[in-house]
Amino acid sequence: MYQKRHTSSYYLSHAVQTLLLYAVIIVGLLLFCVPVYYMVTTSFKAEAEVVAIPIHWLPHEFKPENYPEAFATAPFALYFYNSLVVALAVVASTLFFSGLAGYGFAKFQFPGKNLAFLLVLSTMMIPFQILLIPLYVLVHGLGWTNNFAGLIIPGALSAFGVFLMRQFCLTLPDELLDAARIDGAGEIGIFARIVLPLLKPPLASLAIITFLASWNNFLWPLIVVNKGNLFTLPVGMTVFTQPMRSPYWTYIMAVSTVATLPVVLVFLALQKYFIQGVVLSGMKG
Amino acid sequence: MQLGYVLLNSPSWEKIRVTGQQVSISSTSATAHARSGFAARFKRNLIFRRSIYGIVFIAPAMLFFLIFSLYPMVNGFYMSLTEYTLLKPPVWIGFDNYIDLLENKEFLNGLKVTLVFVLGTTIPKWILSLLLALLFVRDFRGRETFKVLYFTPTLLSGVVVSLVWKLIFHANGLATALVGPYTGQPEIFWLASSTLTPLALITVDNWAGIPFFMIVWIAGLVGIPREFYEAALIDGAGRWAAFRHVTLPLLRPTTLFVVVVSTIGALQAFSLQFIMTKGGPSNVTTTVALLVYKYGFEYFKMGVAAAMSVIMFLAIIAITLIQIRSVQSEDTSYT
Repeated sequence: MYQKRHTSSYYLSHAVQTLLLYAVIIVGLLLFCVPVYYMVTTSFKAEAEVVAIPIHWLPHEFKPENYPEAFATAPFALYFYNSLVVALAVVASTLFFSGLAGYGFAKFQFPGKNLAFLLVLSTMMIPFQILLIPLYVLVHGLGWTNNFAGLIIPGALSAFGVFLMRQFCLTLPDELLDAARIDGAGEIGIFARIVLPLLKPPLASLAIITFLASWNNFLWPLIVVNKGNLFTLPVGMTVFTQPMRSPYWTYIMAVSTVATLPVVLVFLALQKYFIQGVVLSGMKG
Repeated sequence: MQLGYVLLNSPSWEKIRVTGQQVSISSTSATAHARSGFAARFKRNLIFRRSIYGIVFIAPAMLFFLIFSLYPMVNGFYMSLTEYTLLKPPVWIGFDNYIDLLENKEFLNGLKVTLVFVLGTTIPKWILSLLLALLFVRDFRGRETFKVLYFTPTLLSGVVVSLVWKLIFHANGLATALVGPYTGQPEIFWLASSTLTPLALITVDNWAGIPFFMIVWIAGLVGIPREFYEAALIDGAGRWAAFRHVTLPLLRPTTLFVVVVSTIGALQAFSLQFIMTKGGPSNVTTTVALLVYKYGFEYFKMGVAAAMSVIMFLAIIAITLIQIRSVQSEDTSYT
């Protein structure tokens, strides 16, 4: 009987615990998701509804035409395209050169290797903060301001990418590479045909974080480009924050939603690599 | 890929192939002496050839880092000692920029604002994200779905986060609508108040950052073997004791990562202030990162801006070293 009472009180406390757990989890869920929900629903509202009190949780007047109208207020389609070009170029170059250098560091012996790797590691530690001004001066000197080169090249490789690829290349068995050499494959052939395919998982993670960093990058494109036709999407969206211009919130939220879509698509398609990649890099937004 | 293909079919590849065939011939030769002599020479040759390839493989990356990281960094230190407006070549003025900054009210205020923002967006982030992670390592129905939904803020860029929250903190926006019934105020000027505005920005940054660090903690927690907890239970440890003496020490690498990454991120935060408040009202959200932008690209005082970023850089290094030391020194106190 004692035993039974103990068990039932145990079950009771367990049930209370589970209830509490769900309560906390759901409050957290609301906190993290409502702002995003608010962004999407506002993008379909009529402008007058935006500041209505009590708040409209669903648009009373459903207006999908906000989207084409928002895209007509500024060349957002062009900004979207610019962002995409820059991000894809940066991803392609980062993947190729990181893979190449990571393989070089992991599987070859040559004088000065440790010193060179130390340089990569210290580059990884340099905050962008200190590079901002001198990098701008350099790019300005090269005549790359207001130019795709200025948007792409300074971000075309990351020390983190090299480091990541080196760590993965270290795990490749030497026997495999030696076997290929004995079969008469050249070093470049080994890299292109054997190493690169084996690096697919870490390359996928690196591709995602590089794409995300480039797609969301704001500060660098903001300073390196001041001609409208080269704006990337984040920079183009700041037209909405200019003073003397009353913001049209439904349009702002429509463009924000569209700007988030590619990231959501990448996330849904490659969820495993996505979370892994974001965690690996320690970068956010 | 195309480059690789071209090189693959180039004559040098054929040559290596020929030497490869020579190996097989030499290995069938009768005298061991001749074989080892050739093999040694061949091996030397091979190592030399391979080291060349190693250098060729890392060369583009190293060149890139020299030009776009190392040189700008050194140049940044140099520029901070000059007066430079981009129009004329830099003029050496020694430490004048630094001395002026010590009396620059805007900069001193910026340091204070940055300190408050960093404190407000690091310590709550560490604690709250760890607490959430501890919930998410428990087994419950729908856990994976909740985890993915919690990740949503991470999908938004800094600019989008700033714009959405600017609307939420609109005088008649969502925040007012939710709080209004309790305070009785029809509109609250969240982003035009010297007390509310810094808090609002801190809230937004926590919102955007906590899910990410939660995922990081979960990854760390999952990596702790169950046996450690079982051993602690056998030793009679309670939940808190197990957390303090098993979980925390084993999480040390994760802790270090979370602490360092969140601090560096907070020190460099830019888009939030730039878009939501432009540093206002009356500079209560003007961080040093915003001042670097202002002095560099609005006043074109590159030397002063460079000096500010050098100070930030040194601060980042100092803080990071202190954090590494303090997280590691816990090592000895636990074991």
